[in-house]
Amino acid sequence: MDETEKEDLQLMSRVATRDGVAFTRLFELHAPVTLGLLSRILARRMEAEEVLQEVFLQVWTQADRYDAERSTPRGWILMLARSRALDRLRRRDASRRREEIVVGEQAGTVPPVGTERIEGAERQHQVDSALKALSAEQRRCIELAFFEGLTHTQIAERLEAPLGTVKSRILLGMNKLRQALSAQL
Amino acid sequence: MIDAPHSTRFEELLPVYALGALDADDLREMEEHWAGGCGECRRQLELWNRDLEALAAAVTPVAPSETTRARILRFAAGAAPSPRRLPWWISLAAAALLAVAVWGVAGQLRMRGDIERLKTERNSLARQVERLDREVTQARTEAQRASQALQVVAAPGVQSVTLAGMGPAPQAAGHTYVNPLRHDALFFAFDLPALPQNKTYQLWYIAGGKAVSAGTFAMDPRGMASVKVEQLPALASIQKWAVTIEPAGGVPQPTGLMVLKS
Repeated sequence: MDETEKEDLQLMSRVATRDGVAFTRLFELHAPVTLGLLSRILARRMEAEEVLQEVFLQVWTQADRYDAERSTPRGWILMLARSRALDRLRRRDASRRREEIVVGEQAGTVPPVGTERIEGAERQHQVDSALKALSAEQRRCIELAFFEGLTHTQIAERLEAPLGTVKSRILLGMNKLRQALSAQL
Repeated sequence: MIDAPHSTRFEELLPVYALGALDADDLREMEEHWAGGCGECRRQLELWNRDLEALAAAVTPVAPSETTRARILRFAAGAAPSPRRLPWWISLAAAALLAVAVWGVAGQLRMRGDIERLKTERNSLARQVERLDREVTQARTEAQRASQALQVVAAPGVQSVTLAGMGPAPQAAGHTYVNPLRHDALFFAFDLPALPQNKTYQLWYIAGGKAVSAGTFAMDPRGMASVKVEQLPALASIQKWAVTIEPAGGVPQPTGLMVLKS
């Protein structure tokens, strides 16, 4: 366990005792990446900020339910965010969203900012490199599952590819991702 | 049913399961195996979840707007760190003991000036106890309110409606979380200005072309307010939500200036 994870664990246990100072620190550390993930999934900045509020309200009120055996604090927050964002996405008209992604990307509506922890940027670079090790098809399948919440059957329909091909792309892609990430550590 | 032993089959399904992309027979097969409590699968799933955490965290970070940041940090505003969250009676007992000790010492000294000084200290301690008591009460109220809010906001199927500020409060915002199964909702308002005592904010929903009052509210000192709405009609019949400024006590139909609307 590295120092940043140790600090996160300490903050989580303090937030569970309703320590507002610890909550503020946890927010400052993880809100930018969480909002980055929400913006990536939802492609609507305003909606992403709404979900960010819901996620951190949940963190504030349910920190005592966090289980350190199952995930890191950052992993817990990000998976709460992903789950909420995918719920929203499923309620939304898919065609409208696709149009907005294009508009959003062209307008550059999501300004990037630096992360407080330097290793965050390094890690981001490592994952970028790991993703580049995948074929375009493998990456597309994983992104559709992770950022759009599609099942492998839905991905096969979206890409008009045989289900078996999609399954093997996801499996090979995930294994490659693991190998690339392990090799960099 | 005999649980299937751990095998390469499940090792192939696990990364897709972690991604949430399994469905149909594959998902049933994995869940049946999972229900058997396979320790190796649990260990491997944790590793896959770590990889997915890295994938999630590799997005480009985005700074929350100042408005969002302020709203989120207001959840915890005023919350005391754990060492200050002593039960109220401990503070009271400590203050009482101190007061007794103070009086005892004063009796020994028999010095009028000291007695006056100690009286002042005792009064100061009593005020501190009162303040701590108020803080604890406030923290409990906040915790209860947050817990109620979460029950509504986090319930399955809840739909949110955003209200934008207008007129004299363009910076204000509102969010209504509607639970279509329970026919209730929780409304939050942010950054509306405080009103004079003879005025109140009133929340409305428009159903079948008619405005129905959903309650009145005042903003708290942090610039937040919430309203629990019961006995809502079917979600599909609600066309709009709005907030107006009305005479204190509220009115049967909106008459005043609209400050929020969906």
